[in-house]
Parts: sequence; C-alpha cells; structure tokens
Amino acid sequence: MDPIIANDLMTYGKTVKKDRKTQWFQYVKPYLFLLPAIAIIIFWVYKPLLQTLQYSLYKWSMVPGTQPEYVGLANFTKLFKNKDFIPALKNTVIYIAGMLPFSVVLPLFIAAATHDLAGKAKNLYRALIFVPMIMPPVAVAIIFQWLLHPSNGLVNHLLLTWGITSDNIAFFANEAFAKTMIILISGWKMIGFSTLMFSSALSNIDFQYYEAAKLDGAGSIRRFFDMTLVLLSPTVMLMLMISVLFAGQWSFAYIDLLTTGGPFGSSTNIFYLMYKFAFNDLNVGLCAATATLFFIVFGIIALLMQFLSKKFAFYDN
Amino acid sequence: MKKMNKIISTIIIVALFTSLTACGAKPDTAASDAATSSDHTQQEEKESLLDPANPIKVTFYSYSLGYPTMKSGMEHLINQFNDSIGKEKGVVVEGVVDDYTKWKTDVQAGNQVDIVQHTFSTLDNSAQSLGFKAYEDIFPDDELKEQFAAFTSNALSLGQIQGKTYGLAFTFSTPILYINSKLFEDAGLDPTKPPKTWDETLAAAKTIKEATGKDGFGLAPDNGWTTEGILFSNGANVLNDDQTKAVFTSDEGVEALEMWKAFYTAGVAGLGTDKDLMQEFSAGNLAMYLQSTSLYSGFKEAAEAGGWTLYGGEMPGFGDKPSVPVNSGSCLAVRPDSDQKAAAIWEFIKFVTGKEGYTIITSEIGYLPLRTDITDDPAYLKDYIDQNPILRTNLNQLTRMRPVTIWPGDVATEASAIFMDATVQSISTDADVKKVMAKAQDQINDLLGS
Repeated sequence: MDPIIANDLMTYGKTVKKDRKTQWFQYVKPYLFLLPAIAIIIFWVYKPLLQTLQYSLYKWSMVPGTQPEYVGLANFTKLFKNKDFIPALKNTVIYIAGMLPFSVVLPLFIAAATHDLAGKAKNLYRALIFVPMIMPPVAVAIIFQWLLHPSNGLVNHLLLTWGITSDNIAFFANEAFAKTMIILISGWKMIGFSTLMFSSALSNIDFQYYEAAKLDGAGSIRRFFDMTLVLLSPTVMLMLMISVLFAGQWSFAYIDLLTTGGPFGSSTNIFYLMYKFAFNDLNVGLCAATATLFFIVFGIIALLMQFLSKKFAFYDN
Repeated sequence: MKKMNKIISTIIIVALFTSLTACGAKPDTAASDAATSSDHTQQEEKESLLDPANPIKVTFYSYSLGYPTMKSGMEHLINQFNDSIGKEKGVVVEGVVDDYTKWKTDVQAGNQVDIVQHTFSTLDNSAQSLGFKAYEDIFPDDELKEQFAAFTSNALSLGQIQGKTYGLAFTFSTPILYINSKLFEDAGLDPTKPPKTWDETLAAAKTIKEATGKDGFGLAPDNGWTTEGILFSNGANVLNDDQTKAVFTSDEGVEALEMWKAFYTAGVAGLGTDKDLMQEFSAGNLAMYLQSTSLYSGFKEAAEAGGWTLYGGEMPGFGDKPSVPVNSGSCLAVRPDSDQKAAAIWEFIKFVTGKEGYTIITSEIGYLPLRTDITDDPAYLKDYIDQNPILRTNLNQLTRMRPVTIWPGDVATEASAIFMDATVQSISTDADVKKVMAKAQDQINDLLGS
C-alpha cells in the first residue's frame, strides 16, 4: 500500500475512534447526572418494596440476631383468616368515601366562595381554614378527646342540655360513632390543604372568561358549574386521586390516638392493621403480606385514576 | 485540588469500610456477650465489673412513667437509686417512658433495652422471641436466693416459666372498689359500707343514678385484666389448666359477663374506655369504680381537690362466694448485653424490690409491697398504711388472689386481643354475650391448634 494512503487511513481511524469515544460520553453524560437520584430511589423505594415482597413469604419478629423462617404463602392464608382483615378492608373503603366531601367537595366551594373576597378578609378566611392543617395530630386528638368525653365533655353536655340525647354518648367507644368521628376529625384537618390547592388553581383561571360570561348574562351558579368546575377539573382529579390513595394514611394517627382501632376492631383500617401486625404482634411476615396485597390493589386504583384523569380533565391551553 | 479530592475519597472509603465491618461484627459481639454472661456467677468478679468512676448506663422502660398518677413516684424511685446505690456502685438508670410497645419497637430497631416493666400476660412470648434472659442464668445464685426469700411464693411463681424466673414480680395490685363519698351520701347510702356482692353493687348504682343523675358504677370493658377476676369469681376459667384450650364460654363465664352487662342495660354504667372512666371518676362524676390500687395516689389527690372523700371496698363477689381478684401490675424482665450490664441491672433490681424501694412504690404510687414484712414495720410502711386503710383492702385480697392468664407464647398478643375485643363487644353493645364469646373462643382455639 502507498505509505501516504496508509498514513491517512490511520489518522482517519484514530479520529473515528476519538469521535466515537466523545459520542459515547455525550450519550452517557445525562444519565450520569441522573445516577444519584436513581440510586436514592432504588435504595429508599425499590429495595424496601422488594424486601416487603420477600418478607411476605417469611415468618420473622424483626428482632436483630434472629433469622426469618420461610413459610411460603402461609402469611396470606393467615391474613384472610384474621378476624380484623375483612372489617379493616371495608373500613378503608368507608374512610376513602367519607374523606371525599372534605378533600374535594367542601374545599371546592370554600375556595370559590372566598376567591371573590377582597384584601385582608380573604387572607383571614384562608388562614382560619388552613390552621387545622398545621396543628399536630396529637394536639388535635387530645382536644377532641376532651370535647367528646362521654361524661365530662362539652359536646355531651350540650347534647343533654338541649335535649337532643337522653344519655351520654361514648363517641370513641361506641361502634356507631367511632368511625364517623375519625372521618370528621381527619376531614376537618384535610379541608385546609385542599382549599389551598383549589384557591391556587382558581387564581390561574383567566378572569376574561368570567367577564365574557357575565356579559352573556350567566349567573354566579351557572358560572361556577359551567366554567369554574370545568377549568378546575385537572385539580379536582388530582385531589380526588390524592384523597383516594391517602385517606387511609391520614386517618391513621387519629385511629391510633383516639380508638386504637376499637371498639372491638370496628374502626381499624388496613394501615392500622399493618402497624399492629408489625409492632404489636411482632409479625413482619403478616404485615408484609398485607402490604403486598395493599400495594397491588392500590396500584390498580392509581392506574385507573390516571386513566380517568386523562379522559375527564380539561386543560385550558 | 486533585490531592484534596483524593483525601476526601479516601476518608469516604475508610468510613464506609468501617461502618460495613461494624455492621458485620455486631452479631458476633452480641453472641460472645451472651455466651460469657451465662458463665458468670462469681461475686468478686461481678463487683469488679462496676466502676464508680466510669458509671454504666442502664435503660429502664417503664409504663408507670407514662401515667400522670404514677409518674412522680416512679421517677422518685429511679432518682433515689441513682443518688444512692447507683452513685456508689457506678450505675446510672435512665427511665424511658413506655406505652407497653415502645420497648418492643426499640428492640426491633436494635437499641439496647435493658430492663422492662413487663406485663405478665405476654411474658412467655417475650422470653421466647425477644432476647429476655432468665434470672437464674445471669445473676449470682446466692444473692438471688436471698432476694427471693423475702417474697411470697405465689408472687414469685407469677413470672416463672418452666421453672425459671423470666420476670420478677415488681409493681402489683388487685382491683378494689373505689367509692366517691359525696355521690353515696347524696343518694342516701353509707360510703363506709361498700356493697359486697354484684347484686348489691347494681342496686346501689341504680339508687345513685336516680338520686344524683351521675353514673353509679364503672368498669371499662377494655380494662384488660379485671375481666378475668369477674370470670374467676363465678367459678369460670379463661384457659384450661395446661393452657391448650380457651374455655371462657362456660355457663359460669357467660353468667358472670351477663351480670356485668346488666349495669349497661340499666343505664347506670360509666361509658367509654378505661381512660375515659379514670377521668370521669377523678372529676367526681362516677360513684364506684373498680380499678387497680396503682391509681390510688392520683385519685386521692382528685378527691381532695374535688372536696370529697375517697373510700374503698373489696372486689364484689357472686352471692356467697368470695370474689377472686386477679393481680394487675408488672414484673421486671431483663435483657443485658454484657456481664457488666447484668451486674448493673442486678443492683437496680435489688434496690427497687428491697425495703426502701417498696416503701416508695406503695406510699407514692399505691402498688402493693410484695415484701409483706414491711407493712408492719414502723421504719417503713406501717404508719402510711394505718393512715391509708384502703391499702389494707388490697392486702386482704392477696390471700384469694389468682394470677392473670399468661397466654401461650406464639399466639399471646393475638389471642389476648381477641378475648378483649369479644368482651368489649358483648358488654357494651346489644350483642348476645354467649354468641360473641363462643365465636372468640373458637378463634382462639383455632390459633392454639386445639
């Protein structure tokens, strides 16, 4: 071969090699930036998730120094035989449904009603509504415990004085009231956050739509249903999804502090049951089996909600 | 700059390596500690383990610290030890407020839990799976014998499992019928003559409700221990003798629970949980309350503040049969991680179950002194008990007392929860007592595999 050509080919080869190297690096570079985030997610989210799936097949008391014992699907059969499991499932659904008025319906109306207020009054109203949100659950629980005490509480005193009831009511120890009280207290805490979300979404709506609608003679109720509600639909769907997926967790603190799942397990939900399996009965396997089932069911619900959200939400862009 | 980076990365690698090796080394150290601790018996060796110049810290998980009525007494007990024997020997006890479960989660989290004020009903479970040690395996034999000699044998046997002491009876009481003098007098009854049978109690409760409008009698269905005393008093049992089968749905058992339910159907019972009833009685709105003497000091203060006198009677019985009270309270369960820790724990146990310890426990909390010799000793409790005769009631009941059921290891928490839930449902709702209890009995027998 002509030495000059050979030399050119070598130089060409080196350039290609160098270019490929640079190209490869350019391709990988963005992923390197993502690496820390991915590593953290894998460590804190996916590893525990896989461990939970693994533990659902073992019997273990979580005590350091002891070895988990493989029991196959026994935890799942034990779970379905547990007397509190089916009631806890039913209650979880009741808590989800019961929270919706407080996380979607009421905040939507409160946000719309306070939106037109001017200046300081608007801030005052919003602050008052938001206050319950920032109160620590333990303090809230103690206050409600005092208010609703069967014999010393203000609520029972008023009910008796006004002649609404003839006997004291043990709100947290009575099957008929315990769940409702938990829903009311968790809901009362939730209104503030949802109202804030709706208020911020309302601020993003172009006021010219309302001007136009007013000119066309649409009344305030018509404007709310035909415009506000439609334009807020993405936020409504978001809050609906958050509420459905998290209602069980929000009520957890109040179940633990006010009823401990009672009376006779009637106010427990799937989260509290998981907690009891793990930390009362020291049965990690049973807890993990519950968590696995819960993960599958709520995963399906989340996917369904996303599908609905895409179908029904109206984006104004 | 490069040099700096190298230094930083070296530090990180070294730190990671040491933390990893530390993780790996932990079980081995614990295992060797456990092995050596059982060998150790010699007194001289033990004394040399403690050094006043370098005090060792011991954690004591106590549910009494979580009750407003017991907190100050328990704190006094711990401080008294730290300021005297503790200082002298080199032991510092740190009281940890427990809610009956915190010690469990701390064990799971790998924290060192040294001493637990443990309830009797789940002791077997803890001994089997949570690393609690038998006293005979870790404490010096001669001292153990000397300490145990002062205790009544039935108190000692409570915390013994298969011949070994996994819990030494510590705070201890029987249920007594607390009485609010004012509500009794307002209803024309004599508070110094408490009702002796359940029928008399129900009649008194009805009279009080009619006359004052206040609740006549309180015993929370979720009380967790007195329930068993009611069943025992009527000749019923919770478990059979070899603890293989639940038997509480006998005719006597159902009859006993139906009697208790009569207070609810008559509308004279204080409503709510045990906590609600404590508040109701303290506020002066409940005439009779069947509760542990451990709440005595708190109720005494409430009575003084409310302007009424606190009286007490023995637990009511069925007809002519004397009542069979159960014991409430706790034992001390221990899980030292070294010989030195075991020596430190033993110093604390000797103190709190000694004459001085029980004087504080009885006079400042209200629990029974398990060393009955100090109740007649003017140097310790005689004067106090003479001034607070209600505690004599508690002492009188000791002779008829039966220990609470220790549920078998594996199913302890689950089975006791089923039993309590069924009791709450059958007493506080319209549900049929026999049906609810029979269902619970089947569920527990399923768990027990019989």
